[in-house]
Amino acid sequence: MARAAPTPGQKLSFIFFIILGSLFLYIDITSNNFQSIKNGFKSFKISSFYIAKEISIEPLKSIVNLSKSKIKLVEENKDLKEALEISYLNNYLVSKENIFFKDQEIIKKTHNENNYKFEYDIAYLRSIDPNMYKCCDKHRMFIEIKQNSDNLYVESIVFNTEGLVGQIIDENKFYEVLLLTDISHSLPIKLNSSEFFCNAKGSGRSEYIICSYNPLVWTEEIKKNQIFYTSGLGGIYPKDIEVGYVSSIENIDSTQTKIKIKLLANPLNGNMFGVLKY
Amino acid sequence: MKSLLKRLFLIVFINFIDQNIAFLFSKIFIIIPLTFLAFSFYVYKSDKNISPLEAFSFGLFVDLISDSYFGLNTIIFCLTTYLINQNANSFKLFSYLQICLFFGLSASTYVGFSQLIINLYDFSYKTLLLSLFANIIFCFFVALVASYFPKKLSIKL
Repeated sequence: MARAAPTPGQKLSFIFFIILGSLFLYIDITSNNFQSIKNGFKSFKISSFYIAKEISIEPLKSIVNLSKSKIKLVEENKDLKEALEISYLNNYLVSKENIFFKDQEIIKKTHNENNYKFEYDIAYLRSIDPNMYKCCDKHRMFIEIKQNSDNLYVESIVFNTEGLVGQIIDENKFYEVLLLTDISHSLPIKLNSSEFFCNAKGSGRSEYIICSYNPLVWTEEIKKNQIFYTSGLGGIYPKDIEVGYVSSIENIDSTQTKIKIKLLANPLNGNMFGVLKY
Repeated sequence: MKSLLKRLFLIVFINFIDQNIAFLFSKIFIIIPLTFLAFSFYVYKSDKNISPLEAFSFGLFVDLISDSYFGLNTIIFCLTTYLINQNANSFKLFSYLQICLFFGLSASTYVGFSQLIINLYDFSYKTLLLSLFANIIFCFFVALVASYFPKKLSIKL
C-alpha cells in the first residue's frame, strides 16, 4: 500500500519538533536542568534492576548455593568423621589400658612420640554380612586398605576403635578378615595374672568366643566379668591386649569347662579399621 | 497500547545491546548505532506515516535510556522519520543495495552528528569513515539475513 507524503501540516509539525528537540539539546548542554530527571531515571533503573534480580536470580542462586553448601557440608562431615575415626584408632594404640602403650618394642614400631605417626594402615570396610555375623559359623569381613603399600598384609591384625576384630587371611582385590568369632578362628588368651592360658575359639555367634579347658589342669578360679588378654603365643597377635570379659561359665563335666567371653570390639561398629603387622 | 509497550520493550532491549557492543567496537574505531537503525527500520517498514510526535517521543525516550543529551536522538529521529516518510514511495523503486546505502549513510550521519555534540574536542574522521563502511556492511548483512529469514518468525509491530 502506498504511503502518502507528509502534508504541509505534518511538515510544520516536524519542523516544530525538530526546533523543540534543538531547544532541549541546547538547554541540556548549557545547563543542568534535566539532571534531576536523568538521575531519577538512573535510580529507577538501578532499583528496578535490583528488584528484578532479587525476584528472579537470587532465589535460584540461593537454591544453588544451598545445594552446594549442603554437598560441601556432607563432604566436610565425612572428612571430619574419618579424621575422628583415625584419631580414635590412634587413641586406641596409645591408650594406657592396652599393650601398645606398655610394650616398648611395639611402641617403637608404631608410635613416633614427636609427631604421633603410627605405622599402621587405615582400612575401610567394604563388605560384611551382618546376618551371617549374627547367625552362622563363618564370620568374614572384607576391607580395603587406604594407601596400599607393597607390604604383605596376610596375618596382619585388624582392630577398630574398640579393640581387636580379627586377622587378615587372604588378599585379593579386597582383604579378607577372619573375625575372632568365626568358628575356625582360635585366639590364645590368658588372664592378667598369667596363671591361666587357653585357646578361645570363635563361637559362631556375634561378639562371643568360647574357651574350653580342663579344670583339673588349670586350677585357677575364673570369675564372671574377669578380663581376658591376648597371650601372644600364636605369633599373630601381640600379647596383653584386652580381648573381652567372662560372660558365663559352664561346667560340662569334671574334665571340661566352657567359658563364654564377650568381646570388647564389634566389627559392625564403624567403617574404619587399623591394620597392623606385628 | 500493547503494540506501544512492545515497541518500547524492543527499543530498550536493542539499546541495551547497542551500549554493550559499543564498548567492543570502539576499540576498532567503529560505531554502529543499533537503536537508531532499528527505529529507522521500523519507520521504513511501517504501512503508514509515523507521526512527528511519535518520532519525538521515541527520540526523547532513547535519550533518557541511553543517558545522552536530551534532544540529540530526538532531532535525528524526527529528521530521519521525515526523510523516510517523504521518500517512502520512492524506496519501493530502489534496489536493496540503494536502500542499504541510504541507511548506512544515515547511520554514519547519526554517528557524525552525535560525535559533534558529545565528543567535539576528540572528533575523529577515522571513526566516521570506518563507521560508514561498517554501517553499510551491517545493513547489507541485515538485508541478507532478512531475505532468508522465515516470514512467520518476523515480529509484527
